[in-house]
Amino acid sequence: MAATPEHDAGTPAGGRVGPAAGPLVEVRAISKHFGGVHALADVSVAFGHGTVHGLVGENGAGKSTLAKAIGGVHQPNAGEILVDDVPVRFSSPRDALERGIALIAQEIALVPDATVEENIFLGVEPRRAGMVNRVALRRAYRELEERVGFGLPAGQTVGRMRVADRQKVEIMRALARHARMILMDEPTAALTADETERLLDVVRMLSAEGTTIVLVSHYLDEVLAVSETVTVMRDARVVRTGPASAETAQTLVSAMVGREVDLTYPPKALVPDAPVVLEARGLCRGSAVRDVSFAVRAGEIVGLAGLVGAGRTETARLLFGADRLDEGQILLDGEPVHLHRPLDAIRHGIAMVPESRKDEGLLLLRSIRENITLATLSEHSRAGFVLRGSEERRARALFERLDVRSTGTEATVGSLSGGNQQKVLFARWLARTPRLLIVDEPTRGVDVAAKGEIHRLLVELAAGGLALIVISSEIEEVLGLVHRTLALREGRVVGEFGPDAEREHVLHACFGQVQELSA
Amino acid sequence: MTMRARARDLGIVFFFVAIFVVLSVSTNTFLRQENLLNILDQSSELLVLTAAITVCIVAGIFDLSIASTATVAAIATAGGVNVAGWPGGIVAGLGAGAALGLFNGLAIGFTKVNSFIGTLATSFAFKGFAIVISGGSVVAIKDLDDRAALANLFTGRFLGAKGVVFFALAFVVVVGVILARSVFGRHVYAVGGNAEAARLSGIRVMKVQTLCYVLSGLAAGLAGIFYAGRYGSGASNSFSDTYAFQAIAAAVVGGTSIFGGAGAVWRAVVGVLILALIGNGFNLLGIDPTYQLAAQGVLIFAAVAGDQYLRGR
Repeated sequence: MAATPEHDAGTPAGGRVGPAAGPLVEVRAISKHFGGVHALADVSVAFGHGTVHGLVGENGAGKSTLAKAIGGVHQPNAGEILVDDVPVRFSSPRDALERGIALIAQEIALVPDATVEENIFLGVEPRRAGMVNRVALRRAYRELEERVGFGLPAGQTVGRMRVADRQKVEIMRALARHARMILMDEPTAALTADETERLLDVVRMLSAEGTTIVLVSHYLDEVLAVSETVTVMRDARVVRTGPASAETAQTLVSAMVGREVDLTYPPKALVPDAPVVLEARGLCRGSAVRDVSFAVRAGEIVGLAGLVGAGRTETARLLFGADRLDEGQILLDGEPVHLHRPLDAIRHGIAMVPESRKDEGLLLLRSIRENITLATLSEHSRAGFVLRGSEERRARALFERLDVRSTGTEATVGSLSGGNQQKVLFARWLARTPRLLIVDEPTRGVDVAAKGEIHRLLVELAAGGLALIVISSEIEEVLGLVHRTLALREGRVVGEFGPDAEREHVLHACFGQVQELSA
Repeated sequence: MTMRARARDLGIVFFFVAIFVVLSVSTNTFLRQENLLNILDQSSELLVLTAAITVCIVAGIFDLSIASTATVAAIATAGGVNVAGWPGGIVAGLGAGAALGLFNGLAIGFTKVNSFIGTLATSFAFKGFAIVISGGSVVAIKDLDDRAALANLFTGRFLGAKGVVFFALAFVVVVGVILARSVFGRHVYAVGGNAEAARLSGIRVMKVQTLCYVLSGLAAGLAGIFYAGRYGSGASNSFSDTYAFQAIAAAVVGGTSIFGGAGAVWRAVVGVLILALIGNGFNLLGIDPTYQLAAQGVLIFAAVAGDQYLRGR
């Protein structure tokens, strides 16, 4: 696709291109490698004054590395970075900040025990005789707060605030240092839909005030909604930089993946008139899960929709025996079961792919083989010792069935991409042929191609008679896959929807009365 | 990742071989059979303890109580011999070790106290228990025949080496095979690598960790029996508290990760031998022993720093 000259930054030697005012920041032919791995290869991009510039690409495409190179975290091995047409060399984020460039990384870096205003002015506190001038600090905070209107309590300790609020603190901290460019790396990853919407409003406001925003994000719709310019990266290189108005989610994905990708969901098999596998009756746990009842039939895919904290994951953990029930009953094939620990659930044929594969799922230092057979090792043992041949055959069969991309079953799981790691987790449970599979955020942090494969796998498993519960923060994913959706809010089931439910209706139920949607 | 793992494997073995070669050429006493056998003899207790501690560390737990447990076991062995003859002493020593290990496992498992602090606390308690059951004095094996039988079993020579060496090596091999090849061993790696993932895969984390404590208790029991065999007695000062730290240090020097989830028993053997060779080298070369501790300290520090670097933390 042809980029207009205003937005084309693909000429490293070209100096000023397009409009009279040169770019605020320009990177020219920078490369960065970690060991033998190229994270950036000959990357050139120009970032204009006061624009919102989206940066998209699959996991490992180099977009975070580019943001970190501009923000002073990584030092490029070759090429140069120019600020106001002057070559600069940042050896730390502090250097970048002195030139007005602030990076808000995925890992938020605040002092948890300090207050909002202390964090914002950390290191640049108004002082008098070496002591922090508290009155001036509060005044400076008020001025900043008037500008952004976040409404954060100045004296609150940051450690106990929500991620969305901590991000606002980071943004204010950047502004307190007179940042002219703010690089945001996946700022909405941990936000709910309404928080995301508000963050995007802030992005628009800052841009209108003249601050340049670089938005690194997986969520293409967000990027398209706020960006003027979009740069697509693939395999450490820039594919193209162009106006956002000329792109759609489909064109971006094709550029990211390098080929046409089918973004549609596999067709749903007919809802079968099959026996009920699982029935939950009045499940309660603290304030997280309140009187949740539903049933899942064999071959049926039931989706749990809701905001973060609505009780979706908590309900799943109760069904898997990972947490204890306060009240309620779980029935399998009509028989009540008591699940004291995950082992009990597993013995009853229940499996769960947990929300966070790194924290709850995988042994990152161990091989693919060991991760696949972790829950079924006793089937490959005699007198307490592992039968390697039998174990390897099973691991290899599942490795091939799920098309895990790796050098082999002996590769460490930590070396795999997110999508392949997720496939290994699926393989672990398919080794058992469960009757009920619960998947919590099955495609979070998974690249587009693997996402489609996982969707097809889920539909195929259901068609084979497996009962499935799908939890996802992506409402489209839930609606695209399931036969039936349950909307949860504040621990309760607040709505039930059929296979062709309208997105708006489900969202309405999830958000409750205070609904503000911008589709 | 795999290249880094290989670097860690080869690095430590290369280091061991290097020390071995340096000592072989710089002294004319090092390679003598009696010197080498002496090194093994003196390392027997530490080999046994380090093998078990390695399993604990891989499972994500520490056991600082092994010296106190070994002390109780030495007293129990001597007392047991006096009651039921030398076989009874061996049963009493192993039984005492296993029982205290089980106590550690249940106490820490149910209270969820951090294992480092929890076993530090029980190490004091077990030491106190040792003083109580020994009455604060040496418990000697009274029957001279039993004493001779035990001494013969552990310090009598076979193919030039003392009995303790064979028992220690047998224990190390068994523990090594269990960790590397058994279902339990796999579960140990899983629990230490990611306890929540292990639990959600149906592994009973507390059961696995409790068994690890029982194993380190058994190792301490074996060390206690060695002591009773060597000296014909047990007392509340049989094992110095530093034994637990030496075992942890040797495990780490061998390349077992202090963060859990990665390590091996052969590394324990290499770690113990490296520390022993350094000690032996200082003796043979006539260097001030003060520097020996400093050198070992530097080595332990370097081992942990290297582990962190290779893990990319």
